[in-house]
Amino acid sequence: MTVAIYGEFGHLAGQAANTAACFHCGLPLGVQTWKVVVDGAARNTCCLGCQAVAGLIAGQGLGSYYRNRSAFAPTAAGDIVTPAFLEFDLPEVQAGYVYAVDVEQVEAALLIEGVTCAACLWLIEQRLLRVEGIRAATMHYGANRLRVRWHTSRVKLSAILAAIAALGYHAQLYDSGRSESMLARERRTLLWRLFVAAFGMMQVMMYAFPVYIAEGGMPAGIERMMQWAGLVLTLPVMFWSAVPFYRGAWRGLKARALNRDVPVSIGLLTAFAASVLATANGAGAVYYDSVCMFVFLLLGTRFLELNARTYAAREQDRLARLVPAIATRLPQYPDTNFREEIPAATLRRGEFAEIKPGAPVPGDGVVVDGVSSVNEALLTGESMPLVKRTGDSVIAGSVNGSGALIMRIERTGEQTVAAAIVRLMDRALEAKPHLASLADRAAAHFVFALLLVVAVSAAAWWFIDKERVLPVIISLLVVTCPCALSLATPAALAAATGSLSRRGILITRGHALEALAKSTHFVFDKTGTITSGRMSLIGVLVVGGRSKEAVIAMAAALEGASEHPVGRALVAAGPACARYQPGELRYVAGQGVEGVIDGKRMRAGSPGFVADLTGLPLPIELSFVSDDVTTVALGSEGEWLALFTLGDAVRPDAKQVVEALSAQGAELHLLSGDRTPCVKRVAARLGIPFYAGDAAPADKLDYVRKLQAQGAIVAAVGDGVNDAPLLAQAQVSVAMASGTELARLNADVTLLTDHIEPLLAAVSISRRTLRIIHQNFFWAIAYNVIAVPLAVMGLVTPLVAAIGMSASSLLVIGNALRLCDKPQRTASRE
Amino acid sequence: MEILYLLIPLSVVLVFVIGAAFWWALHSGQFDDLDGPAHRVLMDDDSAAP
Amino acid sequence: MQDNTYNYKVVRQFSIMAVVWGIVGMLVGLILAAQLIWPELNLTPWLSYGRLRPLHTNAVIFAFGGCALFASSYYVAQRTCHVRLFCGSLAAFTFWGWQVVIMAAAITLPLGYTSAKEYAELEWPIDILITLVWVSYAVVFFGTLAKRKTPHIYVANWFFGAFILTVAVLHLVNSAEVPVTFWKSYSAYAGVQDAMIQWWYGHNAVGFFLTAGFLGMMYYFIPKQAERPVYSYRLSVVHFWALIFTYMWAGPHHLHYTALPDWAQSLGMVFSLILLAPSWGGMINGIMTLSGAWHKLRTDPILKFLVVSLSFYGMSTFEGPMMAIKTVNALSHYTDWTVGHVHSGALGWVGLVSIGTLYYMIPRVFGRNEMHSIKAITLHFWVATIGIVLYIAAMWIAGVMQGLMWRAVNDDGTLTYTFVESVKATYPYYMIRLLGGVLYFSGMLIMAWNIWKTVVGQRPFDALIPALHPANTLAHA
Repeated sequence: MTVAIYGEFGHLAGQAANTAACFHCGLPLGVQTWKVVVDGAARNTCCLGCQAVAGLIAGQGLGSYYRNRSAFAPTAAGDIVTPAFLEFDLPEVQAGYVYAVDVEQVEAALLIEGVTCAACLWLIEQRLLRVEGIRAATMHYGANRLRVRWHTSRVKLSAILAAIAALGYHAQLYDSGRSESMLARERRTLLWRLFVAAFGMMQVMMYAFPVYIAEGGMPAGIERMMQWAGLVLTLPVMFWSAVPFYRGAWRGLKARALNRDVPVSIGLLTAFAASVLATANGAGAVYYDSVCMFVFLLLGTRFLELNARTYAAREQDRLARLVPAIATRLPQYPDTNFREEIPAATLRRGEFAEIKPGAPVPGDGVVVDGVSSVNEALLTGESMPLVKRTGDSVIAGSVNGSGALIMRIERTGEQTVAAAIVRLMDRALEAKPHLASLADRAAAHFVFALLLVVAVSAAAWWFIDKERVLPVIISLLVVTCPCALSLATPAALAAATGSLSRRGILITRGHALEALAKSTHFVFDKTGTITSGRMSLIGVLVVGGRSKEAVIAMAAALEGASEHPVGRALVAAGPACARYQPGELRYVAGQGVEGVIDGKRMRAGSPGFVADLTGLPLPIELSFVSDDVTTVALGSEGEWLALFTLGDAVRPDAKQVVEALSAQGAELHLLSGDRTPCVKRVAARLGIPFYAGDAAPADKLDYVRKLQAQGAIVAAVGDGVNDAPLLAQAQVSVAMASGTELARLNADVTLLTDHIEPLLAAVSISRRTLRIIHQNFFWAIAYNVIAVPLAVMGLVTPLVAAIGMSASSLLVIGNALRLCDKPQRTASRE
Repeated sequence: MEILYLLIPLSVVLVFVIGAAFWWALHSGQFDDLDGPAHRVLMDDDSAAP
Repeated sequence: MQDNTYNYKVVRQFSIMAVVWGIVGMLVGLILAAQLIWPELNLTPWLSYGRLRPLHTNAVIFAFGGCALFASSYYVAQRTCHVRLFCGSLAAFTFWGWQVVIMAAAITLPLGYTSAKEYAELEWPIDILITLVWVSYAVVFFGTLAKRKTPHIYVANWFFGAFILTVAVLHLVNSAEVPVTFWKSYSAYAGVQDAMIQWWYGHNAVGFFLTAGFLGMMYYFIPKQAERPVYSYRLSVVHFWALIFTYMWAGPHHLHYTALPDWAQSLGMVFSLILLAPSWGGMINGIMTLSGAWHKLRTDPILKFLVVSLSFYGMSTFEGPMMAIKTVNALSHYTDWTVGHVHSGALGWVGLVSIGTLYYMIPRVFGRNEMHSIKAITLHFWVATIGIVLYIAAMWIAGVMQGLMWRAVNDDGTLTYTFVESVKATYPYYMIRLLGGVLYFSGMLIMAWNIWKTVVGQRPFDALIPALHPANTLAHA
């Protein structure tokens, strides 16, 4: 989380010392503080965890972390017992993540959570380098990835993970050999092509300009040497940098399509061939500068596009980590509870697995022992956890709540419910309406017309003046080199993509901006989209005479260590650091928690459970509470203190989004698998005119199909896998950051922040983008309408052609760059 | 301007030398992380305090 | 033996000598400024204007600027690579060799031994020594980079590296000469060819010695002193490569309206204008590093030096391309405007950034946390800045006035003014220039006093290299 801005750089420590804030994590201090000595001065921390971490940092001689950081550290876990990570030393767990560097050394990539500022990265690096046996530890700043190399004989992976955990960060094994490294390779290659083109362009211009300036006043020998130098430097540009265009053109021709790479390639090759001839013969004009500049400009826009895609892939990869990699198998169950950690993929039907509190379920199956609440948001999209007992079925990918469960595996891999949903989604994807990009359509026509004009004017000039055929053709191809036309779309798209990604909006498919701009209907999923998808505190009814803050703090203190969604919602609502220190905590599964605060025995939990302690009848206020929220009571002996209502709250920015979109004339729909009355209430509250409840994934698909049949251009906004078919069927899909992996991978647009409000920016920017693309087309066409006849008449010299081509490209790029309005520079990190 | 027969080939050679330097930089990962180095320099404590 | 510490000794030596040579070179500059007002000060042949002028330029560029570059590049390379300097004895040779070069220049130039190439006046035996020192410098610097413990090479090192390599090439090509006697040689090139080579050298010396090298300083010491990361590291990398792309061809603008072919002059003009883009990109990147911490400028005089140096960099890299436009050049060429332009770059950019760097580095390499007197640094800053402003304003006005007087014609086509009239009209501005020079020079004296108080009695201090593997290091010890 963003805690501080750079304006306070280097002064955080001082501030924390002066105010009543934790020196380590910056949270307000409670009644009780824990002292730690850093750099010779005693500091206060808010809890045992922070004290332990700060003590460790100071003890390692890494105190300068506190001087250099620009944001506070994450609050250390209340209990400082860090897991042993022993299962990570198993070869089968390490397989695919840990690579051998040589006989003794191995390397792995880790994803680090909890990083708040640059100093954290330094701290992690330095701490690891002080562990014996670690040879190298390098953090990648943009991606919070750590590359670590160690001696297998001297240190174990579990020790490395524990060292990171002891600092208060969480590390996960990260498979770097996948999509991202592919993108990184692609990026490197493209960057190298771009560099060659840029460098070639600059240098070739240095040889070309004198010739233009001299206007024949240059000695012939020098001019020829300039040409040869230009040729030498254009070779790498032609035969390395420009290769993607030839490939594209070849693909197009094989598919019998005239894509925009075709005229680009023809233009490049003709101009280059003519220039080589001229250079060899010592007569005629050369166009090396035009060739290099053209390649550079086109590659530049491709590079911008790729950068945006790399960023998107990295985000997706980070969130894809929700899927469990490791399962706990009980091979001798029910005889003994002997456990072993194995890769989840190796689980077989009929085997027994233990699901620890908070862990994801590794496969579909049936509970054979234990009681717990399980969150199936992944599949049903519902945030309310369901209680699972012996005999209930659980599905892979759902997340276990507070209690441990033992399950029998029924289905794994491709047979799971989750996999079935993926297949449903694939089908919808195949049937997706094909929106050919504006540019490709226009360019194809243009290319055809251009080639026709070239052929005709070549024939005409053949009869007029054979000498001038080549200059005219080249002028024509250079002046019309569909640079402006080809750039019109990609330049605007790249600029818009960049502008959006800085706002936390990722565009993952080229057509998304166009479709979003044209959308007439917006279909929203409810859970996780219009609502936050998480249990949170909606209301507080104070029954006794305490203050609202006090009762929340008490409930939060009691639930402090709870894994249950209800408990976590209360903790999240309470003051961040312990105001109360509860004692004698006792959890009662499915009921609540009991503890002693300020010498008084208290309970938080279901009203009935609390009533047992108060010895009083249920408070009258309870009858006012609506049915579709969860109620938690708080009471002490002989006294009711408060009632808390919890539920899936509507996002605070949802109303604003709905109102703005309606005002822009869009038709809004609300779809949900939730009960219809509930959906109706939300729709009414937000002013969404159309809604449908009790909708299964297939129903949602039909709903969108019907809209589309009436000619609607549908933008679907959702979060979970259950609405993935919906997202795939719509012309353009938008996924929320809290959504799950699959939706993310298939959405055209992803909102990275956990807010729906960026959707407005996405819509307005996409509309501006479309407008700018149209302007660019208008300009490119107007330019060609003027330039082509002039060139055909032989009135355009190659120099003027090159300048005209460059100028029109620059104008188009400049216009596109208007989309890159710079958002405010926040130096702090998320 | 016969001197250009020295200067221009020299510049072509230099271009390839610079190109090679860039190639090395790119492929040794010098451009992989373009935020971190700025911070790492700051974290290097060069005060003379004991 | 000392593998766990940085080699600060050579940094200390070069830092102190930078200050010493700065004072010497600027004192010679003062004498020259006075001689232009009072010609009778040309007391003896070896103290005459013509012989002292190359001594001044060599002393401030190669002795003062050179020592500052050696010191800072050695410091930055070690600190960012986390290793001790490669081959300490060779590093020591670069120090002593460079001092011999400077001493030789200080003796031979007043005696009248010169190859008559501007900024490359030294005769062939000294040229050979320069080559040896420079190759050693390259070996030490790149050797240090090669054995670095950090995977990344910080951008400042790229600037330093480009500076070292390019200066080597420039020196070798331009100083190709045929020795006749021990103290006399002739250039390997003749006539306009020689002029072209000379200004290809001359301009790139400005570009790589006086710009790339000092940009390396800027990219390390501004972030360090401001305690903030550089505004955009990405931009700094782009800045580096863009500068490399564009610098090479701007030289001919020094030869506008000469025997150089017209197209070559125009080429120089075009590329000088293009240079504006990377120069300003770098300047903005440096200045914006302070965004959000502007308040530090109020209290920190070292930061003042560094940031104001960048403003002068921006000013002179704007003025330069403007003056390279042929029509502007028709007015400015051969006037004192050029002198003003050079000094806005030399005093403002090179001088201030070096002084700021030295103020940052010297206490650290002498085992102290800051300079003896911060107030004296503030005083130095204001004295120096007022000195520069007086200097460049006087020279700009004088130059424009000279240019206008020289081109003024009467109705009958005769010249309105004789040359000597323009000289007479310039006198008051020469006085102001001398005053500006005295102020800048007195700033250097304040600095010398401050540094004396800072280092006297300090024991040599070599900082520890952050130990990457304490376990392993202990095993070695």
